[in-house]
Amino acid sequence: MDLNPAHIVTVTDFSRETLRNVIAHLEVSTDFEHLVYRESELDAIWSITGFALKSDGDPAQREALAKLHQGAHQAHDLVADRRPAQAAALLRRFL
Amino acid sequence: MLSQQENEILTQTAAGTPAGNYFRRFWLPAMLASEVSAPDGPPVRVKVLGEDLIAFRDSHGRVGLVDEFCPHRRASLFWGRNEECGLRCVYHGWKYDVNGACVDMPNEPPVYGFENKVRIPAYPTREYGGLVWAYLGPPDHIPQLPKLEWARVPASHRYISKRFQETNYLQAIEGGIDSSHSNFLHATVDAFRVTDSYVERVKNSANLRAKYHLMDKAPRFTVKKTDYGLVIAVRRNAEEDTYYWRMTQFLLPSHTMIPYQKGNSIHGHCWVPRDDQTCWVWTISWNPDEPLSPDDRDAIANETFVHAKVEPVTFRPLRNKYNNYGIDREQQRTTTMTGIHGFAAQDQALQESMGPAVDRTRERLGTSDTAIIATRRLLLQEIRALQDGHEPQAARQGDVYWVRSCSLLLKREVEFDEGARELMKAEV
Repeated sequence: MDLNPAHIVTVTDFSRETLRNVIAHLEVSTDFEHLVYRESELDAIWSITGFALKSDGDPAQREALAKLHQGAHQAHDLVADRRPAQAAALLRRFL
Repeated sequence: MLSQQENEILTQTAAGTPAGNYFRRFWLPAMLASEVSAPDGPPVRVKVLGEDLIAFRDSHGRVGLVDEFCPHRRASLFWGRNEECGLRCVYHGWKYDVNGACVDMPNEPPVYGFENKVRIPAYPTREYGGLVWAYLGPPDHIPQLPKLEWARVPASHRYISKRFQETNYLQAIEGGIDSSHSNFLHATVDAFRVTDSYVERVKNSANLRAKYHLMDKAPRFTVKKTDYGLVIAVRRNAEEDTYYWRMTQFLLPSHTMIPYQKGNSIHGHCWVPRDDQTCWVWTISWNPDEPLSPDDRDAIANETFVHAKVEPVTFRPLRNKYNNYGIDREQQRTTTMTGIHGFAAQDQALQESMGPAVDRTRERLGTSDTAIIATRRLLLQEIRALQDGHEPQAARQGDVYWVRSCSLLLKREVEFDEGARELMKAEV
């Protein structure tokens, strides 16, 4: 994993690997620029999970997906509030 | 995405609002100097930050900017007579100078001396770079004028247009700093599809944008906070050992610069809230070294790039939402992505289609929206700092605006801020 908070994590899905990567970057993010990148990654996770929720899927997985969607939103707002460590802790629940 | 509260903080700029207070710490473009060209000439309406104002040039050439409405019976001073160092309300004759002091009240007995007690709100103005700038903030925090390169070149080296847009200012700024939209909104169909004929046409072009912009549709974004605001660096793959970089500046509170290639003219915008649903789009093209070229003048006259032709009084673009921006569906089918002529109309069409103040709680952003996220966060940070008593530093340091956008090829191992350092310095 390329762990540099000044690089944007490519978010194309909401797999555990993607979440781990975003969490790891959250844990080392300190500067304004880092937090902007983390916010964009969480925006992307929230967007992708939102699209997935709107499509037909396994009802059994919908609840978990809805929780992740909501979790991405909360983590996003924590980053916006300059609390990346709390955002990382919150996202860890979904691993 | 933003919370509803954040969205409201950013987009509401009336007097007393957090963002309104922030904007009121900066000099803002209020009108073209040519709108009030002659002493004692006609007064003009000016609306900015939700305030209805009247501008007039007095007998001494000073530009006054005062509340539109006479405090006597609230009649508009737009109908006023601009005479002998003051603007006289033609309803009952009360007259005001450029500082807002009532200097004559002919319908009241002189013995009352009412005129000495009446003032209307008036704001300081400065003429600079072909514009009249206004400061609507507290008198004890008058800022420095921004040392913008375009404001300092000779008039022959510069062209400024003003247009009315029916969106909140922030929507317009977000279009200005969003590098990825130009691959689509402003592209030809050939370029969008990267057809063989398109590649053949641009492969030896000296225009880096034409050559590389559309070859990599998923550029990488980097933002850097600076003392004037942000530099937004967008990297696209170019040759095997090079990247094509485009650097856009966002300068507080609402200026932007379009990446320019050395040797061409430079373009930029200033987006000024008119009220919470509309804004003024100021578009500037300039050449620091010489008068604008015939090609530049052609692009302006033909509206092919960033300038739009407008109605002379309202400044509403001739291509506007009431005529569907002149969309040509056949052209859209065969030639351009939009079928709308000119970048300005293309931007305005899409931005206005989002509604006057978009609900940012409903967006679906991604990592290509990094510049937009950064700009919002920076503005929120600045607005909240002012709420906590910290004055905006950029407003006090006009020199920090002494920068240029740029675009260039750099070896892949070179960091953009190193490789572009000299190009990003203004010179004039």
